[in-house]
Amino acid sequence: MARYGMALDYKNCINCKACEVACKEENGVLLGADKHRIWVGANDVKGEWPLLDIASAAFLPSQCQHCDDAPCQEVCPTHATYYDENHVVRVDSEKCILCSYCMNACPYDARYVDDRTMTVDKCTFCSDTRLARGETTTACQNTCPTKVRTFGDLDDYDSEISELLRTREHFSLKENLGTNPKLFYLT
Amino acid sequence: MSIKEFVTSIPVNKVGLKDLLGFEKTPRNMLVAVLTLAFIAMFVIGVAIYLVHGHHAYNVSREHPWGLLIAVYIFFVVSSTGLCIIGSLGDVFGFKDYMLISKRAIFGSIVTILAGFAVIAFEIGHPVTMLIYNVLSPGLTSAIWWMGTLYGIYLTFMIIEFVFLLKGDMKKAKIFGLTGLLVGLAAHSNLGSVFGFLNARPISNGVFYPTYFILTAFITGVFIAFILMGFRYKLNFPEKVKTMLTGLAKIQALLISILIFFVAWKMLTDVYGGMPNRAEVAEHIFHSWTFWAEVILAMVIPLFLILKDMGKSPVVLFWASLSGMVGVFFMRYNLVHDTQLKPLQMMKIREYQLSPEWIHYFPSSTEIMISLGGLGLCVAMYYAGTKFFNLDEDEHH
Repeated sequence: MARYGMALDYKNCINCKACEVACKEENGVLLGADKHRIWVGANDVKGEWPLLDIASAAFLPSQCQHCDDAPCQEVCPTHATYYDENHVVRVDSEKCILCSYCMNACPYDARYVDDRTMTVDKCTFCSDTRLARGETTTACQNTCPTKVRTFGDLDDYDSEISELLRTREHFSLKENLGTNPKLFYLT
Repeated sequence: MSIKEFVTSIPVNKVGLKDLLGFEKTPRNMLVAVLTLAFIAMFVIGVAIYLVHGHHAYNVSREHPWGLLIAVYIFFVVSSTGLCIIGSLGDVFGFKDYMLISKRAIFGSIVTILAGFAVIAFEIGHPVTMLIYNVLSPGLTSAIWWMGTLYGIYLTFMIIEFVFLLKGDMKKAKIFGLTGLLVGLAAHSNLGSVFGFLNARPISNGVFYPTYFILTAFITGVFIAFILMGFRYKLNFPEKVKTMLTGLAKIQALLISILIFFVAWKMLTDVYGGMPNRAEVAEHIFHSWTFWAEVILAMVIPLFLILKDMGKSPVVLFWASLSGMVGVFFMRYNLVHDTQLKPLQMMKIREYQLSPEWIHYFPSSTEIMISLGGLGLCVAMYYAGTKFFNLDEDEHH
């Protein structure tokens, strides 16, 4: 029993996209631009030459935020979306009716349709692959060359992620919506 | 009385295929018949394509997961709730002038919701799973669960009310009618809350839709009442019907006026202050022709024509109601599309398919065929109903 979360030292991201490839490979995510569990965003540089804001051009990796109060879970009519024993937001494909309400309700655009099962799919923190095999890292974290991602138990005082969140300033996305994300961006 | 005796005592006309095809072969009737059959054929073709290709046959996407079929489902269930309200005016609330449309309106509410269910069955990815897990693991915090479940109960009450209306048992019809109306209104406002609860979508989020849905249901019900009576009396209305329709027209003028207030203030509130994710969406809506189609066809034209002589020209208002129903369709389409207009972005600024532009969507031919098919099924079921049942007011009441 843990409460898994992830900290992203996003300013270290070099947009190599190894995380995306590793995720697709590890979790058997279908190929195709709209079939993705995780992604690396790239902001346009703000300002006009010569007053360019170089810092604005950061790469921004993201994925399902595994919210503590997940809107996708609240709107699901059949409890197909649920919190597992590690507080990871998961989808039970047996119960999913593909009403797509969760896709509309998720503020983070983290869900897509898996064409094989015709049900909604999303990031699972590698729960049924790497974690099920007893490993302690996710595929995206394991492959990252610049150590952007740190995955771990938020309730464990000694975990690396807890240490990072105690010592580094951080923010979450769309905090005003009250979803209490478990993805933290280190500044 | 045993169940068998009860069922056999329901007055149903003995109708053969010959009777069903034995309508007056006027150009108008032939046009409606050909269109209805064509739409049903489209439904069959559309469903066949869907069964082969699944959701790939639709133009829905990750960014725009709800498409035309959701809009058409809402269109039908709004019509059903509206007809239920109209039907209840006479047999539940005791307004004698409106008794003559009660049976017809309640039957209309049954066929419209059945048409809605026929359409949504091919939008929901796994309808059978839905029936099972709606019961086995109900998501009580889900507006969709409440909406679907309450509509199921509502349909049951409507059928029971209709049976008692056919049998002339007005007391029981009133009890089931009132219960059905309350459940229907609850279901319908829950449908509004499906959109109202979307915290991620500021353009839809809030109390507006759950209340607006009830208002627009009533308006839709009045439009359909004019259309039903127009076809019933071939636009040659008896005095009693004229009196009822004039009353309905006056109610409609008030309802549309309130709707104009609702929509005007919603749009102004959306734009005011330039709130991110809301103001720019509202401005985009102002520039879409479908919004103005909704305003002109469902609000301006019907209101103007009613106010011209305070609703005393039912023939004109029959045509105004057809315009109104086209406008109501755009109202539903806009509701669904506009909710999803703004990309959630999530920093996918240049990557993948999410550019910082508006989400584009246009229904596929399969979606259009199934939607028109829903209309065809609705008209066909209603026509069959006019043959099997006496939908006019019973003389002894």
